[in-house]
Amino acid sequence: MGEPSLQTARERLEQTLKRARRPDKEAMESLRMRAPFWWVFVFLFTFSTYQIIMNPFGFSDLVQRYTQDVSDLLITGPYLYPDTGHEQISVALVDDRTLGELQMPWPWSYGAQARTLDALLAEKPRAVVVDILFVDPRKDDTLPELVDEIGRYKRAGVPLYFSGDPSVAPGQPPIRQELLDAGARVVDPTLLPQGIVRQYNVDGRCMNGEAAATLCKSLALTVYSDLYPKAPLDVNSDGLVELMWGTRSDPYNTKWMGLTESCDQDIGFFRRIYLAFFDPSQVRSRCPYESVIPVEKLLQGTDDTDIAKLAKGRVVFYGGALQGVQDRSFSPVNGLIANVFIHAMALDNLITFKGRPEQNVMTVGGTTLNNNTIQVFAIVPVILILAWLHIRNLRARGTERETEPRESGALFELLLEKVMESAWHWGALALALGAGLALTLAAGISVANWVEVIFVSAELAAMLMVGVPDAIWGYLHHVAGGIAEPAKARREHSA
Amino acid sequence: MKAVFAAATLFATAFLIQPALADDTCSSVKGDAVLGARAPEVDLYDGADGKRVQTLKDDAFPRCTPITGRAPNMMLRVNINGTDYWVAPHMVKYHFAGNLPAVCRNLAMGGEQEKVGSTRGLGEGCPKPGSGGTTP
Repeated sequence: MGEPSLQTARERLEQTLKRARRPDKEAMESLRMRAPFWWVFVFLFTFSTYQIIMNPFGFSDLVQRYTQDVSDLLITGPYLYPDTGHEQISVALVDDRTLGELQMPWPWSYGAQARTLDALLAEKPRAVVVDILFVDPRKDDTLPELVDEIGRYKRAGVPLYFSGDPSVAPGQPPIRQELLDAGARVVDPTLLPQGIVRQYNVDGRCMNGEAAATLCKSLALTVYSDLYPKAPLDVNSDGLVELMWGTRSDPYNTKWMGLTESCDQDIGFFRRIYLAFFDPSQVRSRCPYESVIPVEKLLQGTDDTDIAKLAKGRVVFYGGALQGVQDRSFSPVNGLIANVFIHAMALDNLITFKGRPEQNVMTVGGTTLNNNTIQVFAIVPVILILAWLHIRNLRARGTERETEPRESGALFELLLEKVMESAWHWGALALALGAGLALTLAAGISVANWVEVIFVSAELAAMLMVGVPDAIWGYLHHVAGGIAEPAKARREHSA
Repeated sequence: MKAVFAAATLFATAFLIQPALADDTCSSVKGDAVLGARAPEVDLYDGADGKRVQTLKDDAFPRCTPITGRAPNMMLRVNINGTDYWVAPHMVKYHFAGNLPAVCRNLAMGGEQEKVGSTRGLGEGCPKPGSGGTTP
């Protein structure tokens, strides 16, 4: 009793292996035409999810960040990013030329720093953010001058922020104790360890003796919260701020920075497109986006209307761009740039977007979704439509196989039909683009965080054009002993 | 009658503003001079990059003080009550006949250095774009 059934099982296995090794193409083709909708959907969804979440070969990350750079250089930077924040921020910069002109080697004494801050205060800024660390104890008799300067800012009602050292041991002061005791407001200047700075921290270390459970913000977010209460900060702490970089340099920068070449690059739209993709260094802005106040000019103390315009009523970041000081990062639109500009750009984004900068997360019903989850959700409608259209085409082709062959004179008609068959795949791209733009407009999701939907949609369309899911269905079904299409079964029967 | 009244008004106005004009320009002082305080408080230093030794209220700071020296870091040396002090330029109104160095950069992103002429305004005296970066 057991032997025949064992033999049958063995025969079945052999036949299965035989079909797997040498599949009947005609049977496979007929089975392929009967691939069900659910299979196409599951196949495409699995592929998309793998691509988006598992990030094979780092492809997803690379695509996201590359797109963000191109977007900054090509569209948002030169054409879309408004000047709202630009008009409210300046950077007072100490660079190597400043040190040379003033014959003041770095680091400056506390007294010299106090004089610079005092020169800034004289221009009546809205606030000053010091992006220079005063943490290391050193013998300097002029420290009381810097302490007194904090008092002058208080009396003038101008907020003064100092960057603290985030690497100090718990319990240790993030800046010199004397400055803390004078009531200096300390902020966390930590930047994300990224090769190219495209994102900015939301949270930062608490550095002003806050209670242990207090959640503190990063430098730019703290400054924004303090200075712009009318448009309250609305950011998700589970995510990061996606920085949008402007490229149109402040006209004042052009006035004193563009000596051999103008800061304003006269690049036409189409040439810009070409360069953004094939030679980005050519479209990078030569001058910083934010207005720069050269510190040596500030210290000259002349009644320069330009300096007055750049400082009065603005948030002035005071920082350095010095060789040998590891305080520079690579920006997508400028190349290597002092980190003080990154804090300034982050504040610029916050001001421009009224406290709601673009982020890599969104909140739905109180739940935070990261960008991978968002993209998986965004791709579902695209897959549903693609799968439906594909199945519809398959069924139409399957019916056609059973009818008489087409006359040779109808070549044009055939070509037209083929074109129409593939044209709807382009619709997938349009659909994905629409989904992405809707995410940006409705939920403030950066282009970097939905662009993968477009790339994956293109891949799905390409796979459907060559019929990957139904071919796999046909093969697997054939190997598993699937029944051939009725027409073929009838032919086999009659033979 | 009108002409007499107008002449008297003109004379009185000229008489009244004359000291003020003299104060602002310090025409009595030859050469470079600190005209007066600009900030509510003026710090006095013992060296160009020295230590603060005294702070004067703006009304206590003397007017029309000759500048006896200028340091590369822009600090101005003045003599007050027989003692030499240094003051920060932004804290005072001053007249300086000599040229101030122009503030220019050959693009912030490049490290190329430019020699420049002299000027008073930000960017003035800088070579124009396309001029090859030479000093006028």
